[in-house]
Amino acid sequence: MLAIDAQDVEKTFRSGWPRRRETAALRGVSLTVARGAIVGVLGPNGAGKTTLLSILATLLTPDRGRVTVLGHDVVREAGALRRRLNMVSGRPSFLWSLRVGEIIAFYGRLYGVSGNALRRRVDSLIELCELVPYRRIPYSDLSTGLKQRVALAKALVNEPELLFLDEPTLGLDPDVAARVRTHIARLRREQGITIVLTTHYMREADELCDEIAFIKAGRILARGTSGELKRQIRLGEVIALKLDPARVPWLAESPGVLRCVEVDGWVECTVDEAENRLPELLRALHAKGIVIRNVQVREPELEEVFVELAK
Amino acid sequence: MSWRNELLAVWAVTLRNALMGARNVFFFFELLFWPIVGVLSIGLMSRFLELTAAQASFVLVGTIALSVVNVCQLEVAYAVLLDVWSKSLKHQFLAPIGIRHLTLGSWIVGMVRSLAVFVLLAALGRWAFGFRVLQPGWLPLATFLLGCFLTAWVVGVAVCALITLFGNRAEAFAWASVNLVLVLAGIYYPISVLPDAIAVVARAVPLTYFLDAYRAHYGFESEFRAPIATGLALSALYAALAHWAFLAAIQRARRTGLLLKMSE
Ligand SMILES: Nc1ncnc2c1ncn2[C@@H]1O[C@H](COP(=O)(O)OP(=O)(O)OP(=O)(O)O)[C@@H](O)[C@H]1O
Ligand SMILES: [Mg+2]
Repeated sequence: MLAIDAQDVEKTFRSGWPRRRETAALRGVSLTVARGAIVGVLGPNGAGKTTLLSILATLLTPDRGRVTVLGHDVVREAGALRRRLNMVSGRPSFLWSLRVGEIIAFYGRLYGVSGNALRRRVDSLIELCELVPYRRIPYSDLSTGLKQRVALAKALVNEPELLFLDEPTLGLDPDVAARVRTHIARLRREQGITIVLTTHYMREADELCDEIAFIKAGRILARGTSGELKRQIRLGEVIALKLDPARVPWLAESPGVLRCVEVDGWVECTVDEAENRLPELLRALHAKGIVIRNVQVREPELEEVFVELAK
Repeated sequence: MSWRNELLAVWAVTLRNALMGARNVFFFFELLFWPIVGVLSIGLMSRFLELTAAQASFVLVGTIALSVVNVCQLEVAYAVLLDVWSKSLKHQFLAPIGIRHLTLGSWIVGMVRSLAVFVLLAALGRWAFGFRVLQPGWLPLATFLLGCFLTAWVVGVAVCALITLFGNRAEAFAWASVNLVLVLAGIYYPISVLPDAIAVVARAVPLTYFLDAYRAHYGFESEFRAPIATGLALSALYAALAHWAFLAAIQRARRTGLLLKMSE
């Protein structure tokens, strides 16, 4: 069952007067997301991530393409769809003098929640997002992290089936960011909410997302699990060695070694397959009487995939 | 959408505007300062010019009407302005509500506020200049206020439409253009004194007719045959047009991305 089915979505922004500027933000994006999945949309600045999420969330109408979200057409059935989804964006902002509890209640009423049900909903969200001590504080007096949590609470007020998170941990300290990630993972686990998120933190994408779509200049370049992307890009794996003597020029010429670099006294060899190449390398080094003081094997980071794709 | 949800969404906006109004001292200042200055200066000027009691009533009715309309339309415009200022516009349009909830909810707060201003100005007029708002009776007064509120609704929604059409930089332009039309409505003079071309515009403003009907009770002969019916009909027409314009502006903002731009 698909939560999102977008086909060939195009969007061009026209702005400026009297001289028109055109920005093709999306140039034929197709994306499907299964119910209950967490999908990350990654890509460089200006790639079209926010534009894509906004179209899926009915805030922006596509120029071309067919977009069905939760079974509703995003243009023709936007009203029915809006009840069932919600969104958080990186730099949240709400009415400055409303208090935390009032903000959540205001949006709750817009979604048709009232009376005792509203009170209970607001209470539980304030608890969930760890806002209990701040309930009566005006929004403008909150720190960035607290504002972000208010945004998350607001986004859950209609018990959405689908949640869009546009850089949900932007500007948060590592501790708070980690807790937001835990919340996000829990939302999917416990409530089965489908989540589409964008982020510039690769760890976050790696940790949270079942699948990642990589978007650049308005096109989706690659799509898959983080492992699949790493293999697809053929980045290989890295075998890092601490050797004595430190420099071993012939290592780069060994079979299966793609490249070798020296970093802080380590020789980092990128190889096609660590499992096969590691014993060969060790045997060869040993045969030449080179002392091996330390060995580490690691997968490439998602960050390296990102840098490679963004080139 | 069910009736319950309709009312709830309107109530949400009403409550929001009321809370914002109560917490922002400058809004309060705005609410009282200019109306009081207006009534005092017009009242004193009419004393200096030695106007008759009826003539003084004529101009005081005008200045009070202008204040009531201004306070009320400002609040209606807050339907989007508050969110434009706080960059939270997209959250509202992500929710399953329509512009009617926003404008009606703000209008309710606007009516309460401008009613309070009206009572204050009426008391001030009575105390300082012996002007009696209730001289025409309750029903004409209520009709007159309704006329002011309807005009304010139209003006406020038009401002909302202009802002969502041109972005927040258009704020000043939006106020100026609608206020220009208001001032033409014969606030301080009967429209018979206006040049023909401008009188045509004044005749198209609903407030003109409500002022005319109310002033008839102070001894000024009505310039129109059925002022109240005409005023109501015009208000209904403009209300529909303004609503449609705002709706179209929002749809356009969703297409051009202005809705997002105004939220970041
Ligand atoms: N409302 C808008 N009006 C005009 N142009 C826009 C608008 N929103 C986005 N753009 C343009 O569309 C392109 C895609 O922008 P978008 O915000 O989707 O990028 P993004 O991937 O979210 O980038 P970032 O990582 O910086 O958030 C950019 O070139 C941007 O300048
Ligand atoms: Mg973005």
